[in-house]
Amino acid sequence: MNRGMAWTILSGVLNVATVLLLAPLFQGILRKITARIQSRQGPPIWQPYFDLLKLLGKEDIESGETPPMQRFAAYLSLATVLALACLVPMGLAVPMNGAGDVILLIYLLTLSGICTLLAGLAAGSTYSLLGISREMMSMITLEPLLVVVLITAALHVHSLRLDSVLSGYLYATAGIPWSGLILLGVMLLAFQAFVQRVPFDISEAETELMEGPLMEYSGPKLALFKYAQMAKLIIYSAIFASLFLPWGSHLVFPIGWLLFWIKVLALVLVVTLVAATHARYRIDQAIRYFAVLLAVAAVGLALASYGY
Amino acid sequence: MIARDRLEQLRLKFGAAIQRADFPADNRLFVHVEPAAVKSMCQYIFRDLDARYVISIGVDDRPYSSHFLVAHNFAFDPDHLLCSVLVELPPDQPSIESISDVVPAASWAEREMRDLVGIEPIGHKYLKRLVLPDGWPEGVHPLRKDARWDAIPADFSEDRELTFDDPPEGCMVVPFGPFHPTLDEPAHFRLYVEGEMVRGCEYRGFMAHRGIEKLAESVMSYNDIPMLAERICGICGCVHSVAYTQAVESAVALKPPPRAEYIRTIMLEIERLHSHLLWTGLACHILGFDTLFMQSFRIREPIMWIAEKITGNRKTYALCQIGGVRWDFTPEVKVELRQTLDKLEAEWRPIVAAVSGDKNIQKRTRGVGVADKKLVKNVGLVGPVARAAGVDMDCRRDHPYAAYDRVEFNVITAKDGDVWSRLLVRMQEVFESIRIIRQCLDKMEDGPLQLEIKDELPIGRIGLSSIEAPRGESHHFVITGENNRPRRWRVRAPTYQNLQGVPAMIKDQQIADMTISLGSIDPCFSCTDRMETIDLRSGAVRVWSQQELLKLTQGRKA
Repeated sequence: MNRGMAWTILSGVLNVATVLLLAPLFQGILRKITARIQSRQGPPIWQPYFDLLKLLGKEDIESGETPPMQRFAAYLSLATVLALACLVPMGLAVPMNGAGDVILLIYLLTLSGICTLLAGLAAGSTYSLLGISREMMSMITLEPLLVVVLITAALHVHSLRLDSVLSGYLYATAGIPWSGLILLGVMLLAFQAFVQRVPFDISEAETELMEGPLMEYSGPKLALFKYAQMAKLIIYSAIFASLFLPWGSHLVFPIGWLLFWIKVLALVLVVTLVAATHARYRIDQAIRYFAVLLAVAAVGLALASYGY
Repeated sequence: MIARDRLEQLRLKFGAAIQRADFPADNRLFVHVEPAAVKSMCQYIFRDLDARYVISIGVDDRPYSSHFLVAHNFAFDPDHLLCSVLVELPPDQPSIESISDVVPAASWAEREMRDLVGIEPIGHKYLKRLVLPDGWPEGVHPLRKDARWDAIPADFSEDRELTFDDPPEGCMVVPFGPFHPTLDEPAHFRLYVEGEMVRGCEYRGFMAHRGIEKLAESVMSYNDIPMLAERICGICGCVHSVAYTQAVESAVALKPPPRAEYIRTIMLEIERLHSHLLWTGLACHILGFDTLFMQSFRIREPIMWIAEKITGNRKTYALCQIGGVRWDFTPEVKVELRQTLDKLEAEWRPIVAAVSGDKNIQKRTRGVGVADKKLVKNVGLVGPVARAAGVDMDCRRDHPYAAYDRVEFNVITAKDGDVWSRLLVRMQEVFESIRIIRQCLDKMEDGPLQLEIKDELPIGRIGLSSIEAPRGESHHFVITGENNRPRRWRVRAPTYQNLQGVPAMIKDQQIADMTISLGSIDPCFSCTDRMETIDLRSGAVRVWSQQELLKLTQGRKA
């Protein structure tokens, strides 16, 4: 029992460390490739590490309407993402499998959206309020999508356990896995919105809302928020890979692990490409788009409940 | 004789009210009328004869003729005619009947006239200050001749905050500019927002005062002013320099040598090329499409290099003098310019194809920021904004200047009047500009660059010049004067009219569309913010002596 406990904690720490270490690297790759698409030299791949270090070393300024809430939102944002890291497999088994189920996962993902709301409320400016109203609107339509996907997977394995749901059992039915394929399509189309990149970076929209909820952030607190955003990209990619791209993950340690990270990298590349070739949507256009996806996802769920 | 026909029409209708009239050339008409008849005449010209409103100018002419002068300028585009309706006003308490209820486009010009020259437009519905800051004392009018160009009234309170109108009920005020990533310009919009919908707005601009017109009228000389005019704008500077020069030339009936005209044409088109590429990039950036922003700027860069090769500067070409130009085209430069154009055309074509077929961009721009034909007419919108609404208007064809009467090109129009149409019009105009430059290079004849001017320029003549800047018509009005400088010089940049259309364009739209709607007129705030008597930088006033300024503007010669 004790050894099991130690292993759980160790693998949790390992996951958190992996996310913290790799998140800026993936961001760096994303920026470099974006630059290449735009005929630019682009910053070195290590730049996000330096950016974070620079921000962390700056003076910690209190600003906005309620500075304590602003600070709390920044801490909570990174903490939520790191807690998520303990619940999502990163190439190995789910570390803290016993600590919670997929419902907790959904709560934590929602909580990270709530951090943005808190940040916007703390700033209290017109632009940040506009930003959080957009954030809220997209959360209301996006979260159900994720719920539908996870529930469908849970239906297939008849369990809410993390390790069973997050192991590609979306396809584990006899015959053609219709529901799995439908949800794969839906998630792929909504992925850009989950990781909040163009064309769905609506709540920050630099050229409209001046970063919206984040506008009052600077220095170390901004670093925490940025870190959380980078980590989010990895975590969503990891969830996506475990749900929809299970092939090869069960192979022996280095191969399965490597394959997993190659899949995550591929997802980051897709995100980069889409972001570099699109203009930002307006919030009403985005919501309409999400609503269509949600309707399709519901069809998938219905199919899944009949075993397709 | 179209000018005479138009005059006959006016004589038939107004007869005795016309004091005198003058058409120095067939493309200019000056009509002096009684103050009482000015409003009905402007209404007749604007509504019945369907002329386009250009600008109104207030002039303090007391030192020369002991009265004030007001000019309402109109353009008969299909007739290739610019017309000025002139009114003389008594020297004390000058006032004139406002024409803004029959010609809505005159609203700003009349408010400005009231601020700067102190001519009261009687019956104007919204007499809030336009140009002068709220802390400026009443009764001090910087553009009057008895106001010194470097004087600051003792009771000017610089720190006084702007006063704003009350927002409509149920609306939140969203401040927009001067510190906004897409409006880092000295302009301030207060948007009245209900949820995500914009219900109205108030605009306060004119925050950067450079005193350009006053300087020109009181300190500089004819050939210094092109340099000053060029500094009105950081993007279409050459336009202002050429427009001023042409206004003076048209006033005193000078015609520059043909080679100079071709060179002016080429430089104006080079300027249009880089301006349109810049705009396309910025518009995409506003929409969050940064890849196209970067690619536009990459393609644009060689244009800047060739401009530098021709004139010594990427921008601010220092091209014009009265009666000619400064820079010549060597055969090598001609070859290089052709190569640059070929490369530009080859790179621009795929981008136009990609954008034209992009559903994503269309989603954000179709039906957004619509200015229909009616708005174009009423507010006097010009340039790509007008052409995108299907108004076939282009000063290069309608009021030909420089060498535009010797080249062939199409006037690109669209029909929807939305941001998407403006994007299409501008992207296509790039190809027309390339075509024009190529024809100029073919046709350019050898010869002098500069007209020999032996006599002093005659005094008291009025000159008008309209030029198709990248953003629309730039109109300059000049009255020649003593001391080798104009008595009055009025610049009307295209943004001056186009900005007045923005409130109507953004009304009842999503706030997310505000930035691209405003961006789609390609606003140039520095062109609009032209006037004041003093240069206030961080509160410290720097006083330039005449000698210092002369040295400054003639640095190249010294």
